[in-house]
Amino acid sequence: MKTMQVCLNVNGESKEWSIAPGDLLLDVLRREGYFGVKRGCEAGECGSCTVLVNGKPINSCLMFAAQAEGREVLTIEGVEQGGKLDPLQEAFLEYGAVQCGYCTPGMILSAKALLVKHPDPTEAEVRDALAGNFCRCTGYLKPVEAVLAAARIYRQVGPSGARPRAKHRSALHGKKR
Amino acid sequence: MFDHVEAFYRPSTIPEALRFLAKGHGRGRFVAGGTHVVVQADRSIRFLVDITRLGLDYVRQGSRACVVGATTTMAGIENSPAMLALANGILATAASTSGSVQERNMATVGGDLANASPAADIATPLLALDAVVVVADARGRRKIPLADFFSGPHRTVLGRALLVEIVVPAPPRGGRVGWSFQKLGRTESDISVVNVAAGLQVDLRGCCRWTRIALGAVGPTPLRARTAESRLVGQRFDRDVLERVCDAVAREVRPITDLRASAEYRRQMSLVLTRRALEECAARGGCPL
Repeated sequence: MKTMQVCLNVNGESKEWSIAPGDLLLDVLRREGYFGVKRGCEAGECGSCTVLVNGKPINSCLMFAAQAEGREVLTIEGVEQGGKLDPLQEAFLEYGAVQCGYCTPGMILSAKALLVKHPDPTEAEVRDALAGNFCRCTGYLKPVEAVLAAARIYRQVGPSGARPRAKHRSALHGKKR
Repeated sequence: MFDHVEAFYRPSTIPEALRFLAKGHGRGRFVAGGTHVVVQADRSIRFLVDITRLGLDYVRQGSRACVVGATTTMAGIENSPAMLALANGILATAASTSGSVQERNMATVGGDLANASPAADIATPLLALDAVVVVADARGRRKIPLADFFSGPHRTVLGRALLVEIVVPAPPRGGRVGWSFQKLGRTESDISVVNVAAGLQVDLRGCCRWTRIALGAVGPTPLRARTAESRLVGQRFDRDVLERVCDAVAREVRPITDLRASAEYRRQMSLVLTRRALEECAARGGCPL
């Protein structure tokens, strides 16, 4: 089996991995223990395997691992910081936006890319940002509510990943739009 | 799925990319966004040549044309000020309906043209805009009008050349020009059942001076409805003429039945979407019906 090296940054850490030339990023990430990257349709339809590459959501089932050379990859494992959940993760918990949980990592990453770029989205913009993430438990309403709630925290404290303190927790339950 | 791939090359220049492809002796493949190459999972591929590091991700606005690099993503087109300003933004609109956010961050305009799906959303407005593709091979660069580029479903005249960029000439001068992109799919971002791109220029007497009508997913390639166009130019742009032109489009398309729609439905929807497109062109050109 021929192998090659790929150097990339995953969740803030530099990595140098030995891969096969035809390996897909999804397979390599899971092989390296990033199990939050879910294998779903493997055809770019369902969004379960979403990761951020240089800040943009992509389907890791459609990207060759070799193409990640020199890129920054963010998986769900890198969204919390110092053991503190991101406001999006808090909001998904608070709003019960997690059913079986399989789509949740992809949804949170798609939402994070949206909020970092655009911390004051409309509901329609949230729905568009999540349109590539399928939930087969049919639970789209609560994720949308959770993202809108997290957006309020992002606007207050920024996307630093700080766990919302008491006053921010109340903001999570602020007026729904 | 790609267990048989022996090497993955990441060239930084076009000549280097062409050399790597040639070394593959027909078993090499260029890859950019991966949305087609990976899904098609062609097991004969032995060599992959990544073309995303060739510096072909750009939109350049010139005085006589807008030039789009082949590896510009759909998201790049959708958000480009030049694309939003050109022809009522029909290229940006078409790009924004080409799949989910993730797919639009990956899929490239060159890849979508090289894949030559008859239903590719971006191809139809590019045809309406008289786009020309620039391709490079070992002998140098040449230009191919997009209308001559597609040779069948998933077939092009590209051969082993690299699609480098797409030149979109400036639309006709003189004002009173409007453009429209219309799409029918199961959802907004799903593959088209029918799509239509049109441009229209109406003179001060209310006569059509110039028009383009292009359709996707209703033939073996994206196509121009040239007979319908010729029935419109020089005519007074009114309801009767509009209906005759739309009927001509319905006769001119060559749809097939597949799992998404019947040929009959596609033919009827070609008529409906062309009507909507020309109405929108007229309204945007400042001469509504």
